[in-house]
Amino acid sequence: MSTSARRPSPVFAWLAARAGFWPVITLGAFIAVSALLVYPVYNILALSVSAKDESEHFVDNYVKFFSERYYYQTLINSFIVSIAAMIGAVLVGVPAAYFVARYRFWGRTFVRAAIVLIFVSPPFIGSYSWVILFGRSGLISGWFADLGIALPTIYGAQGIIFVFILQFFPFVFLMVTSGLRTIDQSIEDAARNLGSSELRSFFTVLAPILLPSITTGSLLVFVAAFSEFGTPIILGEKFRVLPVLIYGEFVNEFGGRPVFASALSAILLAVTTLALVVQRVAARRFTHGAITIRPLEVREQTLVKRSLAGAFVLLLVAIALMPVVNIVISAFLKANGPVLLAEFSLDSFRRIGPRLWTPLSNTLLFTTAATALCAVIGTAIGYIIARRGGFLSSSLDMIIMFSYAVPGVVLGVGLVISYNEPPLILTGTSLILVLAYFIRRLPFSVRSSVAMLHQISRDTEEASINLGAGPARTFARITVPMVAMAILSGALLTWSNTIRELSATLILQSGPTVTMSVEIFNEVVNANFGLASALGTILILLTFCPLIILFRMLGKREDVLV
Amino acid sequence: MPSTPVRIEALGKRFGDFTALQDVNLALAEGEFFTLLGSSGCGKTTLLRIVAGFLKQTSGQVRFGERPIDDVPAHRRNTGMVFQNYAIFPHLTVRDNIAYGLHARHLPAVEIERRVARMLAVTRLDELAHRRPKELSGGQQQRVVLARAVVIEPDVLLMDEPLSNLDAEMRVHLRNEIRALQRKIGVTTIYVTHDQEEALSLSDRIAVIQRGRIEQVGTPHEIFNEPTTRFVAGFIGESNFVPARRTGETARDGTVAFVVPGGARLRVPVRRLRSGDEAMSLAFRPHQVRLGPPADGASLNGEVVDAIYTGASVRYSVRIDPDCDVTCLALLGEDIVPLAIGARVGVHVPADAITAFPADS
Repeated sequence: MSTSARRPSPVFAWLAARAGFWPVITLGAFIAVSALLVYPVYNILALSVSAKDESEHFVDNYVKFFSERYYYQTLINSFIVSIAAMIGAVLVGVPAAYFVARYRFWGRTFVRAAIVLIFVSPPFIGSYSWVILFGRSGLISGWFADLGIALPTIYGAQGIIFVFILQFFPFVFLMVTSGLRTIDQSIEDAARNLGSSELRSFFTVLAPILLPSITTGSLLVFVAAFSEFGTPIILGEKFRVLPVLIYGEFVNEFGGRPVFASALSAILLAVTTLALVVQRVAARRFTHGAITIRPLEVREQTLVKRSLAGAFVLLLVAIALMPVVNIVISAFLKANGPVLLAEFSLDSFRRIGPRLWTPLSNTLLFTTAATALCAVIGTAIGYIIARRGGFLSSSLDMIIMFSYAVPGVVLGVGLVISYNEPPLILTGTSLILVLAYFIRRLPFSVRSSVAMLHQISRDTEEASINLGAGPARTFARITVPMVAMAILSGALLTWSNTIRELSATLILQSGPTVTMSVEIFNEVVNANFGLASALGTILILLTFCPLIILFRMLGKREDVLV
Repeated sequence: MPSTPVRIEALGKRFGDFTALQDVNLALAEGEFFTLLGSSGCGKTTLLRIVAGFLKQTSGQVRFGERPIDDVPAHRRNTGMVFQNYAIFPHLTVRDNIAYGLHARHLPAVEIERRVARMLAVTRLDELAHRRPKELSGGQQQRVVLARAVVIEPDVLLMDEPLSNLDAEMRVHLRNEIRALQRKIGVTTIYVTHDQEEALSLSDRIAVIQRGRIEQVGTPHEIFNEPTTRFVAGFIGESNFVPARRTGETARDGTVAFVVPGGARLRVPVRRLRSGDEAMSLAFRPHQVRLGPPADGASLNGEVVDAIYTGASVRYSVRIDPDCDVTCLALLGEDIVPLAIGARVGVHVPADAITAFPADS
């Protein structure tokens, strides 16, 4: 002991030799996850029930929230838009998935790729794009107004629900698509053979088997809609939802109220956690063990049926992709504040030019760093969960599961209140953004590596151990090469999903650490739609690039995304 | 090649409330081909994985030679293992798969090259050395993992149902190859299987395992012809079990008389008596009986209730009692005509063919 203290021998090597390679890694991962997730969430809860002096009671913040309509209405509003979005996403997502899986129609192969693009396109860009098209001085609403027709407004609850459905139905689509893959053709054949029509077979046999996929997809929609912050702030106007309230309370021009914001965060977290628990229970309860030998096939269908199915899916995809296309077009139009003129121009790009470097380099740097952390640590944690038992391993698994439920806004608030005082002041640094991105995407990396490890036999690693390679060598030489493709595809997805992060970023960024998403958001708020579109086009490009690589590599297994 | 005797002493393994292995004692001689035989879930793979170091026993000890290895981590045990699902490294070529354990041992490159080349030649994989696993057939993959396990010159070679994923023809072919290779290098081998034919044809000795306990250890001949427990008699090969009652003490010729249903008296040699109880169960093989005319008191008499013709022989079911059918295997010759269903026959069982076990509980 005394010699190791005197000599600067690497602490890790010493520990690893003493305790074993994996116990040390497990402990390290546990500490990292605790510091970045458990501790901030704990601080939110603790702060929300703290009292400044004798006159206050610890539940005061909650009493205030639930007794003043101005506050509790936001919770009701959040439920309204989230539940409506969930129902809408199921209504369009399930048929779309079924049609793409079972019907042959023109453009079918392109649909899956398109839905993935919809899935990763930045949500707040979608919403302001809808404003450009259907807003007060919108392009399309203008045409209709000239014809004397007043279109329903894009603002308020209905607009938010509309955008949420289009933004989040891919959750349902992707879950149901992978669910359909696990159904054996003989099951449907049996239903048809016993006298059920196609529709009846769907509702009596396929839909019940798909129930776990549908519930999982719809609850993911619910959680995403409940936590989403960009769309409601752009479209909501007087209709305010809970995440918007939290942001307003925390980042207030007159000095935020972190204690009250913490209480709001706790309420938001309670709802999303509950939804996640419901999803786990439902998925377990509705799961039917089945063996798939011959998956469902594409059926020969009449031209009419095929055309109708194709028209439905293509129209859905076209509408959902419209905002993205619109942004790219708008970026090349002459702009005058919120009004875009039908005239080709590179003005917008010229104007963002000088200001582009800081947000662009920040975004690329933070995203790359977080992606690398996710790939390395996510794979290691995945290995610990999939292959090693023990208390720390199962605790890690629980924390990782829970972290799905933590919305970006909540994580942002938690990190600020946890790390804005000595000994560790991280607020305002680049590091805190990298760490926030890392912890937000970590559960996805972990899950994909766990899924991959469950697919490969443990024997292969044991064979390596048996041949004399130690745990570290086995992991590096056998495990990692075998899951390399999964790690790489996971990293590309992490990149695409991180680069557009807005809600945590808005809370954590400071002037020097501004990112592309924040810059776009600011331009939208200031109604500089031309600049926002030019920046948005660059961001969309950065988001889509890795996906195109991914598609080439994986041959369109898009269900790895969710 | 070095080889090591293996001693397993009072070994036990529990998974929570479930007892997977109980009081296992085995001593394997240097270079012995030893098989653990039992049906699935009996604990044979658990035992193998404890020897490999992938599981830790709850009690007892494993020794290689005189050295206890219980605290040696799996990757330092120097046991070559062949897995049921091959566990071939999919991202490495045949050559790199075989060289893997040598690299892990940090052997000099020249030595690795020499050993791999020799092993490729021995297993006739030379031509495939640069192939990837997915370009190989199941049999070839199995030869690669066998080569990979043997090239490290293990103290003990461990095989976990290595042939169960292959088709019947390849299975017999590789079985002979495994036996030949094992004889040539003389490594102590523990082989796990549920296939009794495999066990009987490969092994120097066999341990029959049931519910985590060793039922019997012996040479294939002993296991087949001298089963010490009722389970082994029923599990290895086919046996008839006929309830019987002991009628007296040992006679001068060293046999004991039993009365069976129908009233026949059968004599069993004392050395084939597995208990001194009065109510016993007499076991004998279908191929060891002779069919003839019924003889009162000396044969098991009954009616043929089923006859399955297989060309060279006929399997008869003879109902000697409403509750007891006996299976008999009769070879057919030119002068022997198959018996008709309903015919009355006598089943003659030679005394040396019978083993008496305690009656079913």
